[in-house]
Formats: sequence, C-alpha cells, structure tokens
Amino acid sequence: MPLAGSLDIRNLLDDAPTVTLDDRELRLDDVDILQVLYEIGASDVESLIPPALNPTIPPVISFLAYRAPDSVFGPFSLVQTRLTARAAVRPRAYLVSARCDNPTAAEVLSSSWGYRIEPAEIRLRRFHDRVECSVVAHRQTILQVALVDPQPITGHDIQYAPGMHLARVQTDEGTKPRLVQVDTEYEFRRADRGRPELGIFDASAWGDERLIPLEPVSASFTACDVTIPAVRYVCNPDIPAAEGTQNVGSP
Amino acid sequence: MEFGLFMELSVPRPWTAESERTAYVNALEQVRLADELGFDYVWAVEHHFLEEYSHCSAPDMFLTACAMQTSRIRVGHGIVACVPQYQSPIRIAERAAVLDILSGGRMELGTGRSATWTELGGFRANADETRKTWDEFVRVIPKMWTQERFSWHGRAFSMPERAVLPKPIQQPHPPMWVAVTSPGTEIDAADRGLGCLGLQPGGFQESEKKVKEYRSRIQSCDPVGAFVNEKVHTVNFLSCNEDGDHARRAGLRVASIFSYMASQLLSAKEVLPTSAYPSAGLLPALRREAGGPGDTAKSFKGVTMGTPDDVAAALRKWEAVGYDGINFFINFMEVLPQQYVLDSMRLFAAEVMPQFRQARDVAPVAVGVD
Repeated sequence: MPLAGSLDIRNLLDDAPTVTLDDRELRLDDVDILQVLYEIGASDVESLIPPALNPTIPPVISFLAYRAPDSVFGPFSLVQTRLTARAAVRPRAYLVSARCDNPTAAEVLSSSWGYRIEPAEIRLRRFHDRVECSVVAHRQTILQVALVDPQPITGHDIQYAPGMHLARVQTDEGTKPRLVQVDTEYEFRRADRGRPELGIFDASAWGDERLIPLEPVSASFTACDVTIPAVRYVCNPDIPAAEGTQNVGSP
Repeated sequence: MEFGLFMELSVPRPWTAESERTAYVNALEQVRLADELGFDYVWAVEHHFLEEYSHCSAPDMFLTACAMQTSRIRVGHGIVACVPQYQSPIRIAERAAVLDILSGGRMELGTGRSATWTELGGFRANADETRKTWDEFVRVIPKMWTQERFSWHGRAFSMPERAVLPKPIQQPHPPMWVAVTSPGTEIDAADRGLGCLGLQPGGFQESEKKVKEYRSRIQSCDPVGAFVNEKVHTVNFLSCNEDGDHARRAGLRVASIFSYMASQLLSAKEVLPTSAYPSAGLLPALRREAGGPGDTAKSFKGVTMGTPDDVAAALRKWEAVGYDGINFFINFMEVLPQQYVLDSMRLFAAEVMPQFRQARDVAPVAVGVD
C-alpha cells in the first residue's frame, strides 16, 4: 500500500482558520501567477501531511504566487507554500501556509476557503529575462524565488493541483477539523516556463522547518483569470480521503 | 489471438530480502507455467524508483532468467526506456541481442520513454526530449543489429564506426514495438512499422477507432526496421475460476490496487509544464478507473474475469475490436495467493485459450461492438 500521511494535526489546529461554508465565489481577472517547484527530502515524507493524504514520491514543494491587480478587496498578492499529495487517487496540494499583503483579502480567503494566512510584503515582478517573487515578513525575507529565462508555452501545459487546507469548519454539529478542498479554476491568457531558482526559503517561517528544497523541478508563469468557487468537498484529516470526503456543495 | 503475461514485479512494503525474492520467484513460476500452457509472450516493464509499484529495473536480467527456464514462450521488453540518460542505444541493442541468442530467437523489443517525474527526474533526463530520443533510438537499433559495422551522427546520440555485437539470431532482426499510452502514439507506431503495445485500458469504441486507424496507416508506413511488425496488443486483468463471483472479486482486487498504486505516481505532466507529455496519458485514465484500496465494487469494462465462459465472452469483444493479442496482469502487490493465480492460468489455458487458437487464422471482424 502507498505511504500515508502521519502529520499530527492537533498542533496545527490552534491557529488554523475557522471556515464558515457558504456559496461565496471569488473572481479575479488578469492575475499573474508564478509557480516554482522543488523536490524536498523524502526520508520523513509521511509526517509532513495529514493521514487523509498520501505523499508523492518524491515529495515536491510548490511556491505559488498570485498577483491580482484588482478585486473586490482592491489589489493584492498571495503566496502559498504547498506540498504535492494524493487524496485517494486524485492529485492534490496540501497547503502548509500562505502570505498575503491585503488584510481584507486575507480575512475572506481564510474564513471562506481555509487559507492559513499571515501578513507579509510581497513583490512579484516580471522582466523579460526573469520573473521573481519575494516575501518579507517581520523585516526578514522568508522567500525569494524566480523563473529564469522565460519561454512561451500554452496554458494547456500548466497544472495547478486543487488545494487541501487544514481548517476548523463550522458544521451543524459544531466546529470540526477538516481539510477544505479548494478547486480553483483558471482561464489562461499567456504562459511561460523557465528555469526554477530558489534564493531564500525560511522553512520555519512557513510553518515546518523540515521542508528543505533539494532539487529544482520546474517553474512557470501565467496570466489568467481565476475563479475560486464555493467549497464543494471537505475531508476528515484523520482518515483516508477515500473514506473521509464529504460533499458539502449545493445539491 | 495471442496471449501473454505482463510483469510489473511489484513488491509491497515492508521490503525484506524475502519479499523482493518472493515477487521474482513467483513471477518466474508463473512464466514457467505460462510456457507449459501455451501462452505466447511474457513482457517485463522497465521502471526505476517506483516504490512498491514496480521493482523491475533490470528487465533484461529477469527476461534472461525467464528464457533459461522456458522453451517456447517469447520474452519481451515491455518496454525498454529509450532515454539517453538511462542507457545508450548501443547497450539496448547489445543486451537485447544477447537475450535473443540465449532465448533461441524469442526476444521482442518493446520501446518507450517513461512517463513519471520520479523516473525522469531521478536520471536528470530532459522530459522535452524523450519523444525525439525515442525516435532516434528506434531508428538506430535495428541498424546496429543488421549492419556489420555501424556509425551514427545524430541529435541525441553519436558513435564512430563499430561492430555492435553480438547480432541477434532472429532474421532479419527481432520484432519491435512501441508502448502506447499517450494519444497519437498509435500513429507513431504505424508510421514506423512498429507493433502497437497497448498499455492503457479503454472502451471498445475508442479502441476500435485506434486499431482501425493504425491498420490503415501502417499500410503506407516507412518502417524503421527491416520489416513491418503489424500487431496490436492490449492489456487486461485475468482472473478465471469456475466460481464466477469469486473470480471477479479476486480480479477486481488486483485491478483496483493496480490502478490505485499507479495513481500515486508523480507523472511528468503534473510537475513539468511541457507539451511532451499530454495530460491524457495512462495515469489520468487509471485515476478514472480506480476505486480505493481494497475497493472491489467498481467494475472495469471488458475485463477478462469470471468463469471461462465470461472470460471468453470478453475476449471475443476485444477480438472483434481488432486486437491480435492480449497481455494479462495476473497479480499485483501479491494480493492474490500464488496458487490462485496458477489455477486461474490453468483454467484459462484449458477452457478459453483453445477457442481462440482455432480462430487464429480467421480475419478479425472489427465492427460495432457495444
């Protein structure tokens, strides 16, 4: 049988977001997205993700940065650190944590979709020779990644796995720990790929010092319209996703 | 129709010297029995680093063991990875020729290019290049076999004039195939005069369309080798027992765990923004088919599971689609007892196989199967 996650989520629940399930949908136009992927060490891969999920071999960390020039909250940037995983047979990305530079956007992303967010200064800049992103929190740079030497490709060649966000979800029976599945939709206008480059990654600042990027995998940059639909599935983090997934979407 | 076994050599955790050996010993016993029963082929994959799913990283050695313990069954690479970071085409040609000699001319060479980041990344291979390198490899390998001395100045591979030795004993050379998982690869196979080694479960109508297109296209091919190998094989799960329900439960257990484990692999497409690996490859197809671990509730269309009559009925549908052969997964992760697997093979050979041997020379009727 494949390896299964063994992360003890109790330590993470105290500061996990509380989600109220509703039919909120968020549309973001003309979003720039930088994704940089690195392999991380596999020796303790099970302990990095909850029991509901299976790790991939090798485990891969993704740095996913959005820059939304306009939204109902005004412009904002969001950077997520995620781990590749499986929910039963489906590709998923487990959210370790995120940073956002707009408090209002952060509050809504957290309360509706379970983004574990802290404030930070984020810069996502596109040049002809590179696209780079930096995240500064408490005056320390906690992430500096780049795509080097961009080359145009089609949006069909890009995949962003749905997110799995650990949260306390309010239900009729009270608040329960759940993985909130975030099935973000993308309509691509332009896409580039290039060489991944990682300058700084402060794993402790992102929530798990065991995340040590080792091998570059890929980097992509896209311009697209993004829709974050209402949550349709949540999953009990303590049991395999095949058994613990619940449809909470509108009938 | 022709029938074969398809060997992944999966090894469930916990890994011990005994568990690794058991997987290989059981597989060899199955191959010996298949040889006695009249199966036509044993195919062995080449996979690297695929934990539990496949520990068959040196298929030529396994196939040599198969060849030395059998007398009739053909031994096939299903497939050898034509990726320069894995191996040079010289080494493929040399090793395949040795296997051909030792097997007494029973070697078949399936070719392919890997589809997981786990493997490609492990060798630091360039995923964008694998289609191109595969194409170059399949052009040079038959020349290495048929020309006394050979030289090449290519894109991925070059060598000065040398005799690539030994030469295989099959004349003009062993049959060559290509693994078909990505859409359109059957066209690549046809254009190059290569056999089509299907590895992807599919529906009848979709399969019939692909086979028809392959048959049509290969008529005007420019073969990479000295002859055209116009055969189309597919894969299926074999579980044959007088108790049909028992056979289906056992077979679906194998099919479900196979698809589940395959779905855990990290596909190249998932992490690499590249058009070299289209999204609709083997893994998404298996994800559609897979249940959970131990889930036997979900049925696969056209599975060769059940009583001998059930299995024969399913085979007739695949035969009508136009396939020349079916290669069976008979166990995976050792989820079925070895004795059950051997009994299933015996019953299939006694009751089902003869029905299709008689029809071997009859042209397939490739018309609308439900």
